[in-house]
Amino acid sequence: MSQSYNRGTVEDFGRWREFTAGMWAWIFHKFTGWVLVGYLFTHIAVLSTAINVDPAAAQSSADIYTNTIAGLESLLVVRFLEVGLLAVAVFHILNGIRLLMVDLGVGLESQDKSFYASLVLTGAIVVASVPTFLGGKLV
Amino acid sequence: MAEHYSSFERGGRRWLFQRLTAVFLIGVLAFHFVLLHFVNHAADITFLGTQARMSQVGYFATMWLFLVTATFHGVNGVYNALVNQGLTGSQKNAVKYLLVVAGLLLVVQGTRVALAMTNLV
Amino acid sequence: MSTQIEQQETETEEQEAEPEVESPGDRRRAAKRQRLQEEEAQRVAEEETLDDEETVHLKVFRYDPEVEGKQEPRFDDFTVPYHKGMTVLDALIYARDRYDSSLTFRHSCRQAVCGSDALFVNGRQRLGCKTQLSDLEDPVRIEPLPHQEVVKDLVVDMEHFYDQMEAVEPFFDPDELPEDDLEEQRQTRENRETVKMSTRCIWCGACMSSCNIAAGDNEYLGPAAINKAYRFAMDEREGEQRKQERLRIIEQEHGVWRCQTQFSCTEVCPKDIPLTEHIQALKRESVKNNLKFW
Repeated sequence: MSQSYNRGTVEDFGRWREFTAGMWAWIFHKFTGWVLVGYLFTHIAVLSTAINVDPAAAQSSADIYTNTIAGLESLLVVRFLEVGLLAVAVFHILNGIRLLMVDLGVGLESQDKSFYASLVLTGAIVVASVPTFLGGKLV
Repeated sequence: MAEHYSSFERGGRRWLFQRLTAVFLIGVLAFHFVLLHFVNHAADITFLGTQARMSQVGYFATMWLFLVTATFHGVNGVYNALVNQGLTGSQKNAVKYLLVVAGLLLVVQGTRVALAMTNLV
Repeated sequence: MSTQIEQQETETEEQEAEPEVESPGDRRRAAKRQRLQEEEAQRVAEEETLDDEETVHLKVFRYDPEVEGKQEPRFDDFTVPYHKGMTVLDALIYARDRYDSSLTFRHSCRQAVCGSDALFVNGRQRLGCKTQLSDLEDPVRIEPLPHQEVVKDLVVDMEHFYDQMEAVEPFFDPDELPEDDLEEQRQTRENRETVKMSTRCIWCGACMSSCNIAAGDNEYLGPAAINKAYRFAMDEREGEQRKQERLRIIEQEHGVWRCQTQFSCTEVCPKDIPLTEHIQALKRESVKNNLKFW
């Protein structure tokens, strides 16, 4: 056998219709993980404004830290991004619990159901939180 | 294959720490979200409010641990994801050191921020 | 009378060579010719009525590096008469025997024991002999196992898979043997239950082919090999030293830690082995084992 044919990655994302629950859970967990670690770095960057706060200005809430956060929160886009962040975090937490159960060898035969449950629960929590996130003063 | 088995310490310990930090993060991330979006609205955050919270030793310690564990969990997760994509050799090493440096920088900067938020400095 | 001559006789069916003296052998051969003719007539009749009959449409991956014109992979279409209980392997055998004798695939026992005919059928790793056509949507798309190199048509190179299987040293090695040579090496019922499912592996390679991680990382041991390690490491009769050695193999960087619990292997395993569960059990076993030394 001098030759053989390599088809490369046959099971690439083009076959997404054939993916099963466990595969979707993995894809979502990885995606939300990337978002969260990206947010962690951004979050610390934004909060770094706390280093340059002028104590006098802080007394009247006119310091750079308070202003930066208030400025961001006044943007509707940021509010929607926060809802997205909540969705991402809640799913990562719930599916994370599912994965810890899998690691402990608990309920592996219903791993697909627990994935659907974490999806549904994420949806419910996010929908219920929308008023809290979009409400409040949008200056 | 059979010639170069690496020791347990690399894969296994990181695997275990990824899970242990996960357990901690589940609680703290949920707490963090509830406290800063539901109890206190994100839009109403002021420096004085932040300072009042961060000056409590227990809260400060929790947040700092949150920073460290989240950084480890995130950076280690990114590394695992890249290794699973088939990253090998010198590329893998380069990514490893890049991620370690990025993680350390984040922890250092995060610690500076956390200290600036207290009334200690 | 050599068989070759008889062959010629059967091929030229009209030729009626009546022997002068009828021996029992001649009578048998005459009866055989008669039967073959009837079968042939039946086949012709079958093919003529194929249009009215229930048929299955196969789309089969073809590739042959040694034949010019087949070096570019393509899909061939076969229409095969369907009968109740027909499997994917049955359909392939029909297509090979009736339409194209160059169609190449592995098969042997036809009863999900030998593990030769794992194929990629309608986007999923399945055992050809264990997959009912009635469970599949038409047309049935048959490809060789993904993530392995294709040698010809549906035949893939299994060498890497076997290498990984052997890497975990899959053999039984107890510390102490019973004093009497004829004595059985007994195991408790509970322990038997623990390893029972893992012993069912038929080395078909469906799990390895379905694994997203094994596709990206060629050094990853893969589900089948880890399951093999589980089968021996979890056996209470295994010697302590061998177990430590085995754990060292599976806990290397490209061992159990690479598993991302996507459950793909567990989904496709034709013998229903809970592969993910076994991999997770070995992860815990290995952590526990190493905690002792801290």
